Amino acid sequence: MCGINAVVGMGNITRALFEGIRNLEYRGYDSCGVALMDEKSIVIKKNIGGVEEFFRKEHVLEIKSQMGIAHTRWATHGKVTRNNTHPFASCDGRFAVVHNGIISNYRQLRDQLKKEGHSFDSETDTEVIPHLLEKFYKVTKSPEAALVKTLHLLEGSFAIAFISSYDPEHIYCAKRESPLMLGIGDEIKFIGSDFNAFIDYTKNAVIIDDGEYAVISRDSYVVKNALTGQEITKPITQLDWDSETSKKGGYPHYMLKEIYEQPQTVANVLGLGAAPLDELVEMIYESRQTHLTGVGSTYYVANFAKYVFAWLAREFVPATSSDEFVSLASVDADSLVLAVSQSGETYDTLTALKFAREKKAKTAAVVNVMGSSIARLVDKVILQGSGPEICVISTKAVISQMTVMTLLALRLGLKKKVLTKKAFDRHLAELGELPAIIQGILNERSGFIHRIAHRYAHTKHWLYLGRGMYYPVALESALKMKEVAYVHAEGMPGGFLKHGTLALIDDSIYSIVFIPPREDKDLHQSTLHCVEEIRARAGFVLGIHFDERGKNKDLFSEELILPPVSPLVAPFIQLVIGQLFSYFTATTLKRNVDKPRSLAKSVTVG
Amino acid sequence: MKAIILAAGNAPNLTPFSDTRPIAMVRVAGRTLFDNTLDLLKQSGIHDIFVVVEHQKEKLISAMGERDEDGLNLHYVEQGRSRGIGRAVLKVKDKIQPGEYFLLVYGDTLTAQNIFTKVQQSFHSFKAPVASICLPPSNQMFGNVFLNAQMKITRLIEKPKSDNLGNYVLSGVFILPASFFNLLEKNGANMEKALNKTVQEGMYASMWEDEWLDIVYPWQILEANKVLMDSWQTSRISKSATLEANLTIQGTVVIDDGAVVKAGAVLEGPCYIGKGTYVGNNSLVRSYSSLGNQCSVGYGVELKNCVVLDGARIGRLSFIGDSVVGEGVDIGAGSMTVNRSIDLTPISVKSGKKSLPTGLSKLGAFIGDAAIIGAGNTIQPGMVVPPGKTWSACYSITHR
Repeated sequence: MCGINAVVGMGNITRALFEGIRNLEYRGYDSCGVALMDEKSIVIKKNIGGVEEFFRKEHVLEIKSQMGIAHTRWATHGKVTRNNTHPFASCDGRFAVVHNGIISNYRQLRDQLKKEGHSFDSETDTEVIPHLLEKFYKVTKSPEAALVKTLHLLEGSFAIAFISSYDPEHIYCAKRESPLMLGIGDEIKFIGSDFNAFIDYTKNAVIIDDGEYAVISRDSYVVKNALTGQEITKPITQLDWDSETSKKGGYPHYMLKEIYEQPQTVANVLGLGAAPLDELVEMIYESRQTHLTGVGSTYYVANFAKYVFAWLAREFVPATSSDEFVSLASVDADSLVLAVSQSGETYDTLTALKFAREKKAKTAAVVNVMGSSIARLVDKVILQGSGPEICVISTKAVISQMTVMTLLALRLGLKKKVLTKKAFDRHLAELGELPAIIQGILNERSGFIHRIAHRYAHTKHWLYLGRGMYYPVALESALKMKEVAYVHAEGMPGGFLKHGTLALIDDSIYSIVFIPPREDKDLHQSTLHCVEEIRARAGFVLGIHFDERGKNKDLFSEELILPPVSPLVAPFIQLVIGQLFSYFTATTLKRNVDKPRSLAKSVTVG
Repeated sequence: MKAIILAAGNAPNLTPFSDTRPIAMVRVAGRTLFDNTLDLLKQSGIHDIFVVVEHQKEKLISAMGERDEDGLNLHYVEQGRSRGIGRAVLKVKDKIQPGEYFLLVYGDTLTAQNIFTKVQQSFHSFKAPVASICLPPSNQMFGNVFLNAQMKITRLIEKPKSDNLGNYVLSGVFILPASFFNLLEKNGANMEKALNKTVQEGMYASMWEDEWLDIVYPWQILEANKVLMDSWQTSRISKSATLEANLTIQGTVVIDDGAVVKAGAVLEGPCYIGKGTYVGNNSLVRSYSSLGNQCSVGYGVELKNCVVLDGARIGRLSFIGDSVVGEGVDIGAGSMTVNRSIDLTPISVKSGKKSLPTGLSKLGAFIGDAAIIGAGNTIQPGMVVPPGKTWSACYSITHR
């Protein structure tokens, strides 16, 4: 998914163009570009990175222009490079195009254009469009006629907008399948992938339908049928809702939206295919020592991986917080450093990887943003494919990364013959059920979690306890609580409690205990022991468990009962509960859920 | 868009207050639920409103008359003898054009923030029927609305049987197409079945996260009062109110036209003093107290978390706490609503033969309209006094 917008007006429109494309950032943010009309020539600025970063680095706001187009990209295939970033220009630089969608016949078109002498800078499908426009302009001497001829040749889906120095007062756009609409202001007109591109300026929109194209200037707009060339009278739609609501797809916050997207993002990981995973497993297998690293939530993902690698592949892989990596890790040419990062721009993790490369170690990473610094730096990258994560608090990216790590551990276990093919297949089948199980939890348990969160929202101190794989789950859940609800929460291994912290327990310390399924007998028993230790000291315990109702009579102060699941997927489910618990605590306390104080989405400073 | 407010029900569980009024006419924090709904609808841009009335309809109809000059097109439709929500909705069938969408709201629900704006935003995003859903903090309230990631409702169970199901409930606000009437007719006017059919055809959810209340039981009148008072941003004292010397006023306080607050009284906000109401010397009005219009509160009375309806009189040196006092009730001097048990065990409300657990450890009495409580009575927690009932005074020294 990508976002496009365009603005033409009386005065300088650069800021309006910036605000519009920034409002479309939820559609993707790995690279960004603009084309601005400067007197009678076109200025193109583009680069990889988010919208704000791009505008700042390229000093775009300092350019004054009355007309421009912009694009924000989320690569699904094709590399994230400056060359692949929109807008694209024709050979003579007189046409600049932004595009959202896929031109399915671009190879044929490009081959033909190359034969005719056009040269191409990128690997993208989009670049054929400016060249076609240039070609047809030479014949027709009209940008509009050139557009119509071009549209007749294009196959696939698209929403495009272009400017031409032959006509410095009009912007042209066309649509098939991909979304496109016009914003009609007074002495200013807009084009956008959706109304978020202009809602701050005008509430009057004209929706462009498939097979139509439009030409706008600062004081007029006209919509025509691309086949017949006939003008179409379009009604003006009054937008009476705010942009935030629509971007969030009706959800009150991105955080909840992204929690609800988890069944899909886990399914995306499960559909990754064996090849990229096996290449990385081969690297782990070949290395003398594999180090895991990440920071914040991704450090807890690394910790979780440490447990699944130990269990499924009998492999000890130390996890080090990436901000401490340089002081701790001893790596050499026989080591592999496997990093985890949502944004792929995390300063501390980038530093750890650079250090590893200096020491000649091999590097690999699991990242969500294609073309990010980390994705480009490492020897082997796995793209988790979770789609843009907007909420500062990471949810769907974390669960997906945990799924990637579990798949890696399973494949390593199979390769090392720790797991039989049968056991491997069984575990894979268990993971396959995870999306449906998460969906079920969201649909059947949210009310209970909300009730408990609402009742205990004013608790000052939480202790999050778990043993084994449930320890990183406790750490990550506690971090969610701190980040989003600003409530003190401390994650701790269950067995650690009696070695000191138990002295703290009284009726003002509240604990949450993540209890494994009963099948995991020893872990289940030992986890229940720490519940008893707390209860004996009048401490409050919220037990999150998979046992039948009434089985743990009077053991817990409050309990949340989950449906029976296999031990492999149980920690994932527990984490979903941890996420929802902090979300509902935060909404009860009326916190700024999507942008908590003092936090930024990707931490690019040391 | 047109709106339909369902306000015909007789709400037996809300006795004694529903005996003498429709639920929508319950007045808290200085306004009725009906006024609150109308104001929110108006703010959300809806002006054409149909109200389905039946039980105690005269009260609603005259209240609608008072709102006539307000830029609203208010109409009422009588439900007549037919029963049930589905039949109430069908009464408005001929007011909605084919192809038109309408907003449906249950008159016994309350929000302080604008749920109607929110549901219309969702409707515009999804361009399909929408049901508002929420997660109430109470245990008994779970329904089950199953969603997918795109907020499409995949399944609807209004009253789940399993105690392992707990999820979003319908919050009684919908945007539905005119074809919904046909679904109702085809399904014997059964609301649940017609909604399930709508779900099959494609219905989206609009998540509501602010406070929301469905007023079923009398103690929920106190919760409604709290929800509205918590939404107050500023205090307001009418120009025509009389405030005497040595008053203490804290927090957000609303004192309406012509009210008189005598010397030495303490008002701890949030609290509301209605039009023409008299608050006697040295009275203590604690937080979440709402006094209706033309009430009289005698010398040295203590009020706490209570709703006192219009024209009630509370004699000197009384205590009213965690209680609702009906219209025109006369409480004699030195009376007390006891609001806790000795060991603070949760209080049940006794209504006729029924005993309703409330889960609340502090709760007083529910005194129906025009009841008379003689001087010196102490009233048991959870007591329901029927409208018009007279309890004689309680003397310790008598002629006998």
